[in-house]
Amino acid sequence: MMNSAAGLEWTHRLGLFALSLILLVLVLELVRRGLLKERYALLWLFTSAMGLFVGIFPGSIVLLSHLFKLQYLSLLFLISFLFLMGLVLSFTVVISRLSEKNRALTQEIALLSHALRRLEREHDRGE
Amino acid sequence: MPRVLIIVPAYNESATIADVLQSLKDHAPECDVVVIDDGSTDHTSEIVARFPAVQLVRLPINLGIGGAMQTGYKYAIRHGYDIAVQCDADGQHPASEIPRLVSFVQEGKADIVIGSRYVAESQYRPSFGRRVGKSLLSRLVDAVVGGGLTDTTSGFRAMNRAVLSVFAQTYPDDYPEAEALVILHKSGLKAAEVPVEMSPRLGGATSITPHRAVYYMIKVALAIFIDIFRTFTRASGDARP
Repeated sequence: MMNSAAGLEWTHRLGLFALSLILLVLVLELVRRGLLKERYALLWLFTSAMGLFVGIFPGSIVLLSHLFKLQYLSLLFLISFLFLMGLVLSFTVVISRLSEKNRALTQEIALLSHALRRLEREHDRGE
Repeated sequence: MPRVLIIVPAYNESATIADVLQSLKDHAPECDVVVIDDGSTDHTSEIVARFPAVQLVRLPINLGIGGAMQTGYKYAIRHGYDIAVQCDADGQHPASEIPRLVSFVQEGKADIVIGSRYVAESQYRPSFGRRVGKSLLSRLVDAVVGGGLTDTTSGFRAMNRAVLSVFAQTYPDDYPEAEALVILHKSGLKAAEVPVEMSPRLGGATSITPHRAVYYMIKVALAIFIDIFRTFTRASGDARP
């Protein structure tokens, strides 16, 4: 029987710790291979640090769950859900910014290649 | 004489572009023409190349009408044009009306002049759904901008350099016409409307299907609402970024 007053189940604690550790290693490896930029890696490192913290100090999440009057597992899910929402929102911001830059670059290439063709034609005529 | 540039955005318009360019040559011979080929997959650019006086700017990937038009505005700014006219490649916009639009801007009656389809003398009759959607949008724009604009979605317009410098900096991606007027208003520029006789499109098909029209309405209404709380800057002079 799960008793939240007594802290986290051992299995939950171990699972959380192991998953966070895997995430940490995975993120560091992705950064090392140049597949993930540091500025986005920070978010994930923070997540895995949170997971490790709760794994080592389960009292923290139990305290919080009492505060919110939730089972600690529900609270963990709530926190993950909010985190993912924030992450997805930040992705759409990044995508918007990228598409804006992409548009400016495309226009610049078109204008430059037009100017280049014009110069080439004038040059050919001058020969 | 002011230097006038006619900007023709074209995406797969091989059926009509030749007639449009010929008609521009006949009715507005003193204007320069630039075609912005928005990554067409048909023979649009080959056809344009047959008109040696017409400049062709080809976008390497398709940006949509907003990105294509903005390319034209940037071109106009960089090449020092005083006035730019925006004219569709499907033949709906009569080249014979261009001198009238240009003279309106030239006389300083407004910063941008829209060739309107709904004013009394025009024969343009769109479908019921489009008419309702467009009139709702026009009312929304008119509520923000004022000045009694009735056809805010018309893409047949002439504008001065002040307008170009705003558009070179900020121009909406898709369905840009109505929102662009709000952006200008927020930038302190004035819009006016003159009636023109529109022709039915010569070929090709409208890109606006019913469910796109719903997206169109919601997107533009949202954009206009947000624009009310934004500030806009102008591109500075001829300096290349």
